[in-house]
Amino acid sequence: MKSLHPLTWWIWSLLIVGAVISANSSWLAGISIAGATILVWRFAADAPWARSFWFSLKIGAFILIIRTLVGLLIGVPIPGTKLFELPILPLPSWLAGVRIGGVITQERLFSSIHEGLIIVAVISLFGAAVSLTSPHKLLRVTPIVIYEFGVATVIATSALPNLVQSISRIRRARLLRGDENPSWRSIALPLLEDSLSRSLELAAAMDARGYGVSRKRSRYRPISWQGIDSAVVLAAVLILSFALAIFR
Amino acid sequence: MINFSRVSLVYPTSTKTILEDLSFEIAEGEMVLVIGSTGTGKSSLLRLINGLVPHHTGGILAGDITVDGVSTQLVRPGELAHLVGIVGQNPAQGFVTDIVEEELAFGMEALNIAPDVMRKRVEEILDLLALAHLRNRAISTLSGGEQQRVAIGSALVMNPKVLVLDEPTSALDPIAAEEVLSILHRLVHDLSLTVVIAEHRLERVIGFADRIIHIAGDGSAEINLPEEILKRSEIAPPIVHLARALGLSDVGLSVRDVRRMTEEIRANGKDIPREAGQLGEIAIRTNKLSLNYGEKKALNEVSTQIHSGEIVALMGRNGAGKSSLLTTLVGINKLSSGSSEINGIKSVDLKGQVRRETVGFIPQEPSDLLYGQSVQSECQQADKDNQSAPGSTFALLKRIVPSINQETHPRDLSEGQRLALALAIVISAQPKVLILDEPTRGLDYQSKALLISLLKNFAKELNRSVLIATHDVELVAELCDRVIFLAEGEVVADGPTLDILLSSPAFAPQVAKVMSPRPWLTVSDVMRAVAE
Repeated sequence: MKSLHPLTWWIWSLLIVGAVISANSSWLAGISIAGATILVWRFAADAPWARSFWFSLKIGAFILIIRTLVGLLIGVPIPGTKLFELPILPLPSWLAGVRIGGVITQERLFSSIHEGLIIVAVISLFGAAVSLTSPHKLLRVTPIVIYEFGVATVIATSALPNLVQSISRIRRARLLRGDENPSWRSIALPLLEDSLSRSLELAAAMDARGYGVSRKRSRYRPISWQGIDSAVVLAAVLILSFALAIFR
Repeated sequence: MINFSRVSLVYPTSTKTILEDLSFEIAEGEMVLVIGSTGTGKSSLLRLINGLVPHHTGGILAGDITVDGVSTQLVRPGELAHLVGIVGQNPAQGFVTDIVEEELAFGMEALNIAPDVMRKRVEEILDLLALAHLRNRAISTLSGGEQQRVAIGSALVMNPKVLVLDEPTSALDPIAAEEVLSILHRLVHDLSLTVVIAEHRLERVIGFADRIIHIAGDGSAEINLPEEILKRSEIAPPIVHLARALGLSDVGLSVRDVRRMTEEIRANGKDIPREAGQLGEIAIRTNKLSLNYGEKKALNEVSTQIHSGEIVALMGRNGAGKSSLLTTLVGINKLSSGSSEINGIKSVDLKGQVRRETVGFIPQEPSDLLYGQSVQSECQQADKDNQSAPGSTFALLKRIVPSINQETHPRDLSEGQRLALALAIVISAQPKVLILDEPTRGLDYQSKALLISLLKNFAKELNRSVLIATHDVELVAELCDRVIFLAEGEVVADGPTLDILLSSPAFAPQVAKVMSPRPWLTVSDVMRAVAE
């Protein structure tokens, strides 16, 4: 999968996101999450950024749970099969229309999960695009005009793995001071200092090496759009038009 | 090539003048060494050359700096990229891409150099720095020495006229350091490259320098020939201290020169009786300790014993497993097989209070241990942890660094002061064993002398053991009783410092090289041999 153009997976994920949103179907959302998982599991390189997909899945799961709970507890009642009933929390009169608690129906549960799933699909599809593309390669195809964006990308993508490293290093040092449960604050301070100085260092290094000086950038290894890139994008286009045709 | 004319520099948040009215000129093809204590502005001086100071850091710069006729104040650092290559203190933090080849090409891509030119230059650099076999490797998997070479390569590939390096050998073992320096030496001579280099470990670089810039710390600086500067300077390699102690008329800079002057001493010096120290009880014991990281064997059946009252150095090349052994001993890593115990307690069982009182560990970055808002709050925390009298940790710290201010934030301390603070906190718990990982990285000679006397006191007077992982042979020669040598996770040598250091020329300290074949490692050894 080395030869893929860095933009391919980004275009692909944007198209699928379009399909999921326009179809508004939890089936398609579920399938696309599964598909993204397989793709990342199968094709992502063994690199720091490849872990972002699994991170995005975790965030997605968290959002799904919260979204479902909130959807069940607060909002407009949907009539249907009754599952169980919660007491209604009395609210001041100026909050008319909002209701906390009440009858929980199967329909209400499903609609909450359905909306949650779509959000998870969107997040995980972006996660997949990040995981499947080397940010450094992406940087090379971004126009030099958005110079700040380039610097920010490099710093952000190298900061995350550095952050993970620093956290474990500091936690270990703290353990050694006999501090078995170091407080969040005591870790955050050295961590912030560490990552800030690293980022500044990196920005200085990029600057010293002439990044952003020339309006045009040459390429050591040409990055070309190939048949397989078109195939991936075409597949996504097909899914999008399928979604538009069937679910509308 | 480089011209400083009446340069003064002040940082906005500080009242201290870093440089004041500094003027000098560096000619093409010169190799200039910048020396000075920590925090005196060596890095600032280096970064002035390509304009990172003040363009990137802020600060007020007076006077004019030109490089090859271009004034650094008028252009951005990037516009000097083709003229000045800069390699930072920690190259791993400056890498922008993930593959060696792409890293080399990055700067040229930014300058829009044609692909065929680029390919040719990358090939040349790969050959020049012996990196060809690493071209497709991920940079994160390279060893420290290899990373340093990639960093130098990515600066050189732009065909700069000036190369600036900030402590290029501080993280490297003696062999890798030698490799990097000889490459630089060759570039200076073959390509007439101008090199400006800052380094604490003068013994490594002094032989290569044409001139020295000595920054005094009060803003003044002197530029002169190495012989002239080193005649008077406090900062000097062991070989110069030797010449001074012996009262030689000249300070020689190379082992060869000083050998010629000391023939008589080698012939007439008396043998120093070896002190057969009595061994205390066993403090650290490992038995067939192995540690795997996934497939990779980090440690392989390491069996050793360290007694109380002993100061032991753990040496070996970059990636030999030194840090792994240390962290296993203190109980952070789960061992794959074998056993490791400190003071009769299994390493993995060390927790909380017991751990503090059994083993003190100073990691490579002492600041990891610190999280207080001031020196005072750190010391109070340590007092509370150890249930000792309030103020006792600070009193200890005050003995190490009398000038330290209670209110200072740990971040604003100098490298040496920070190490002292971490040491004070760890020692205040009176641990049976003290373990340090690379304590002298970035330390100047003064702080190093302080560290040596502190550790000697701790081990000998309180009868505790000290284990130090280090690349610094001079430190080992001054301080340690015994050396354990690791290679590929196995113990390949273990014995008295004298025997181990003398058996390998790469790891021999400067004085030993001068005095070979007599077994004297340090200036004080030689003085004792002469005095009797």
